[in-house]
Amino acid sequence: MHSDRPSLLLKITAIGGLLFLHLPILFIFLYAFTTEERTYQFPPPGLTLKWFSVAWFDRPDIWPPLYLSLKVAAIATVLAMILGTLAAAAMSRARFFGRDQLSLLIILPIALPGVITGMSLRSAFGIMDIPFSTWTIVLGHATFCIVIVYNNAVARMRRLSGGIMEASADLGANAFQTFRYVLLPNLGSALLAGGMLAFALSFDEVIVTTFTAGQQSTLPIWMLNELVRPRQRPVTNVVAIVVFAATFVPILIAYYLTRGGSETAGMGK
Amino acid sequence: MTAAVEFQNVSRHFGTVKAVDGVDLTIAEGSFFAMLGPSGSGKTTCLRLISGFEKPTGGAIRIFGEDVSSVPPHLRNVNTVFQDYALFPHMNVRDNVAYGLMVKGMGRAQRHAKAEEMLALVKLDGYGDRKPAQLSGGQRQRVALARALVNEPRVLLLDEPLGALDLKLREAMQDELKALQHKLGLTFVFVTHDQHEALSMADHLAVFNEGKIAQIGTPQDIYDRPATRFVADFVGSSNVLPPELTRALGGPAQWASLRPEATRLATSGPVTGTVTALRYLGSGTRVVIRAGETEIAALVPAGQPVPAEGATTAIAFDPQALHLMGAA
Repeated sequence: MHSDRPSLLLKITAIGGLLFLHLPILFIFLYAFTTEERTYQFPPPGLTLKWFSVAWFDRPDIWPPLYLSLKVAAIATVLAMILGTLAAAAMSRARFFGRDQLSLLIILPIALPGVITGMSLRSAFGIMDIPFSTWTIVLGHATFCIVIVYNNAVARMRRLSGGIMEASADLGANAFQTFRYVLLPNLGSALLAGGMLAFALSFDEVIVTTFTAGQQSTLPIWMLNELVRPRQRPVTNVVAIVVFAATFVPILIAYYLTRGGSETAGMGK
Repeated sequence: MTAAVEFQNVSRHFGTVKAVDGVDLTIAEGSFFAMLGPSGSGKTTCLRLISGFEKPTGGAIRIFGEDVSSVPPHLRNVNTVFQDYALFPHMNVRDNVAYGLMVKGMGRAQRHAKAEEMLALVKLDGYGDRKPAQLSGGQRQRVALARALVNEPRVLLLDEPLGALDLKLREAMQDELKALQHKLGLTFVFVTHDQHEALSMADHLAVFNEGKIAQIGTPQDIYDRPATRFVADFVGSSNVLPPELTRALGGPAQWASLRPEATRLATSGPVTGTVTALRYLGSGTRVVIRAGETEIAALVPAGQPVPAEGATTAIAFDPQALHLMGAA
């Protein structure tokens, strides 16, 4: 007889797979508390909270990269939310020749390896004599942040009963009123979710940033540099915990926002 | 009396597709007008031409005498009950109904009072706080109706308004819509592919076929005197007789229609056939007779003898009931 219960072997494999994926993250947390600062030796010889205070009080070099990362992520997200929403609105309203190809072009940056995006941007900046600045990093990040917002908005617009925009016009609303009272409230949570994902992605991006940052350090790049230095290694782990919180929480919120959206948007049947 | 809606040689072509092609139409004020036809016949496009979501590629459309060809939908004094209702999912029922008043700038208290009035009219008092997702199909339909009516439109357009409801609810809503139209004295224009619905509700109807109007008239006209074979076939209640059969029955060699109620069975006659189906209807029995290639239905009133299936019988009819029509 066929059994619905998974076999023991399958269970062990599944648990093994999950551990392989997630155990390293726990080790990063663990080594933020180790007393040993040069090598990541296991088991840790002792546990301490000292590195948190070291990171907070004695390491001023952490703060500029952190500020830069926050600033870049914030600007890239705002830019992505405006451009991504506009692109999604245009694509869902208009029917024109080459629409599918254009849609692919908008999505492409997220499928393209970061190295390619980074290289092409860097050479473009070089050709145009644009010096590296916060804005060159923002531009690099915006390429994939726009896609995130765009995808979220397009999916939500597809689920919206197409008739509600027409219904709004039929009831006497002009285009602005329809946008303000009908489109925006229905799109809101999808845009917020897209924005949060975009922020999280931008905040920990390394590859494109390496090509477009020049001498500047964002937080992930600072961490990469820190790992090759032999002193105060656990401080990097402390920062890693902060990065983890800063990216994981928005992603979680985004997940719940888009999940709840199906109930309100699904009424058109 | 001015016409509520007037089409003058109106066309709407999409490239080579002639969705609406040279339609002339006059809808009298205060009438309950139905546009009937199979899908793709142009009836919905005509409705969208009135609401303004489609622009004619030719001809003129007038609403109460005013040429509306360049008036956008939101400035037309007509409202629509959409096929899928298109209620705003993020608003409660009261705000849905008050939407048209809100965008016109009416104050909150006043528009909510008006919305409650309308909800009472469609028998949904007390449902104001619910979200559309918490309503049944029939209730959503009433909300859509209230939301359109609150704007006091001069013409109310209904796009297959009962299509999504089950049979029992549909029949109840047919009566209610009719009563509501009577009470408000408004012009209702509704689109349907259901011939029974059109015949029972409308006081005038247009039958559409391939972008053109095949016939326009009262339900009685359409039912008793279909102008073309298409109308007779689509309305479906009449027997459609090919020219040779009409001649065999004593008429000219033309297509003709013959209502089952006017068709009788006889022991002998020029046309005979075999009984292929019997259906008991309560008030009588519907007998289907196959004569050559044609099936002819006859209604035998209750109390009269009914032939057995497979029996041979002749067909007789009241000569006045035979209605000649064009072949198209």
